[in-house]
Amino acid sequence: MPLIKAEGLSKTFHVAQRRPGALGGLRSIVNPQMRVVHAVRDLALTVERGEMVGLVGPNGAGKSTTVKMLTGILMPSGGSVRVAGLDPQRQRRNLAGRIGVVFGQKSQLWWDLPLIDSLRLLRHLYRVPEERHAANLERLRHLLQLDEFLQTPVRQLSLGQRMRGDLAAALLHDPELLYLDEPTIGLDVVAKARIREFLRAINAERGVTVLLTTHDMDDIEALCKRMVIIDHGRKLYDGAVSGIRERFGGERTLIAVLDDGDLARLPAGADGTLILPDLPVGVRQTDAEPPRIALAFGRAALPAHELVAWLGARYRLRDVTFEEPDIESVIRRIYEEGLLLDAPVA
Amino acid sequence: MRALLRDLRLYRRLVAMQARSQLQYKANIAIDIGTYFAISTLEFTQIFLLFASFTTLAGWSAGEVALLYGVTSVAFGLAEMFGAGIDGFDEMIRRGDFDRVLLRPVSPFLQVAGSDFRLRRFGRFSQGVLAAVIGLFLLGGLPWRPLDAFVLPLGILSGMFVFLAVMVLGATLCFWTVETTELTNILTYGGREMLSWPLSVYSQSLQRFFLFVVPLAFGTYAPVCYLLGKPLPLGLPEALAFAAPLVALLFASVAATIWGFGVRRYQSTGN
Repeated sequence: MPLIKAEGLSKTFHVAQRRPGALGGLRSIVNPQMRVVHAVRDLALTVERGEMVGLVGPNGAGKSTTVKMLTGILMPSGGSVRVAGLDPQRQRRNLAGRIGVVFGQKSQLWWDLPLIDSLRLLRHLYRVPEERHAANLERLRHLLQLDEFLQTPVRQLSLGQRMRGDLAAALLHDPELLYLDEPTIGLDVVAKARIREFLRAINAERGVTVLLTTHDMDDIEALCKRMVIIDHGRKLYDGAVSGIRERFGGERTLIAVLDDGDLARLPAGADGTLILPDLPVGVRQTDAEPPRIALAFGRAALPAHELVAWLGARYRLRDVTFEEPDIESVIRRIYEEGLLLDAPVA
Repeated sequence: MRALLRDLRLYRRLVAMQARSQLQYKANIAIDIGTYFAISTLEFTQIFLLFASFTTLAGWSAGEVALLYGVTSVAFGLAEMFGAGIDGFDEMIRRGDFDRVLLRPVSPFLQVAGSDFRLRRFGRFSQGVLAAVIGLFLLGGLPWRPLDAFVLPLGILSGMFVFLAVMVLGATLCFWTVETTELTNILTYGGREMLSWPLSVYSQSLQRFFLFVVPLAFGTYAPVCYLLGKPLPLGLPEALAFAAPLVALLFASVAATIWGFGVRRYQSTGN
C-alpha cells in the first residue's frame, strides 16, 4: 500500500475582499464580498514508501495547501486522502506522531534556549519513550554533527546549524514520512551539501519517505528521482526528474571557439557583433563574444555532431562545448508556455 | 485522569521553557517586574485619593475596597501570567505558528496556553497580595467564620479561570478575524478595573452582566462580600459565594466548546 494516496484532492477558499475607504474594514466584516480561489484542483498523488519526491511549482501554485491537506492541518473541499493508512484530517493527532515536518523559514526550536533544551522537550510533545528518544538523539547528534552547538542558544546559531537542529527536531520521534518545505533556503553551498547528504542517508538507511518542496532545482536533482510539478493548483507533470530535460529541454547551446583568422573574415552586424552566416535550419546565433560564438539549436532540428561537422567543414574550431538548459529554465518554460496543460486554466 | 495529569506535566514543562527563556535576560525581567509593580501600585493609590474626600463608597470603607481590589488583582494577575499564551494567540495565528501546533500529537490548546508565560506579570500578582494585606490591616482583622478560609482561595482560583475563559473566547475570535482583540481587553482589563469597586455603584444591568453573562463577579466579588459580611448583589443568597467554582467551570466549558468550533473552522479555511 502506498504511503500517500490522494485522489481528486481539491481545496477551494472563499476569500473576503477588503473594501476601500474608512469604513471598509467594518463593511468587510458585516457584509463580506467573497472571491473564490481554487487553490488545489483535482490532484492525484501517490507516493510509495521509501521514495523521495520533489514537489515543484511557482509561489501560489498550491504546494503548501497540498502539504497542509496531507498533514491534516487543512480539510480538503473534495476528494480523498490517506497517509500511512490514516485520514489526515480526522486522525490528525495520530498521524502527527508518524510524520515529521520542517519549514525552512520557520523554526520550531525555542529561540532563547540551548538547542538541547528544545530537543529534550520534544520528547514530551511527541510522547516518545525515553530509551527510544535517547537512542535517536544519539544517532542524530552524530549524523548531523550537533555536538559543537548543542549547548548554544538557538538565536546564536548560523542558518545551517539551525537547519540541522530543526531536522533533528523533526526526526526524534522516528517519523515514516518527512515533509520538507524549502530545507536549503538561504544556505551556503557547503551547508546545502551537508543537508542533502544527510537526507540521502536517512532515506537509504532508515527508509524515511521524503516529500520535498523547494525552489532550488539542485535539491531536486541531487535528491529526487521523481518530481511533481504543480501550477494553478493542478498537476502539470509527475515523473522522472531525468526525463524532463529530454522532453521539455527545448534548445541546447553550442559554444564554438573560433580561430583568429576565421574571426577576422566574419561579417559584422549593425552594432558591430560578428555574425556566422548561412546557419543550418533550426540553428540560431544567440551571442558572440570573440572568440566565442554561441549557437542555440533544438533537439529536433539536428543532432549535435552534425552541427559540429557543419562548423568543422567551414571554420577552424579551436574548442567546442555544449550547455544543457538548466532544469529551472525548463520548468519555467513549462509554466510559461503551458506545455503540459491539456485544458485551459480559468 | 492519567491523561489529564500527563497534560499538566507537559504544560509545566512548556511553562518552564518560557520561564527559563525569560530568565536569560535577568536584568530585563527584574526591571519589568518592578515597573509592573509600580504601575499597579499607582493604580492602587487612586483608592486612597478617593477616600481622602469620602469616608465610605456605597457602604464600603477604604480597607474593604483595598481588600476587594487586592483579591481581584491577584486573580487577574494569575490569569495574566498563565494566560499569556492565550492572550498572544492573535500573534500566533498571524505568524502562521498555529500550523506547527496542529502538527504535534498533543492538545492544541495545551500548546497555545504553554506558548508563553509572563514572569513580569508577577508584578501585578505581588501588588495584589500587598493591596489585600493593606486592606486587612486597615480593617484591623476580620470576624473569622469557619468557612472563611475556603472562600477566598476558591474565589481567587475561580476568578482566575473566568478571566482565562474570557481570554480563550477572545483568542477564539482570532479564528474569524485578527482585528478584534481590543474587544477582549475591554472585558479583561476593563472587567478587572470595574470589579475592583463595589458592584452596587454600577447599574443593575451591568451587575447582571458580570454575574450571569461574563461571571467575573462570581469569582472574586461574591467571595469578598461573604468575607466582609456584605450582602451579595441583587439580593442573591450568601451561600452562592461558594458557587464560584461551579460558575467558573460552566463558563470555562462554554469557552472550551467555542474554542473547539474555532479550531475546526481553522481547519476548513486556513489563515
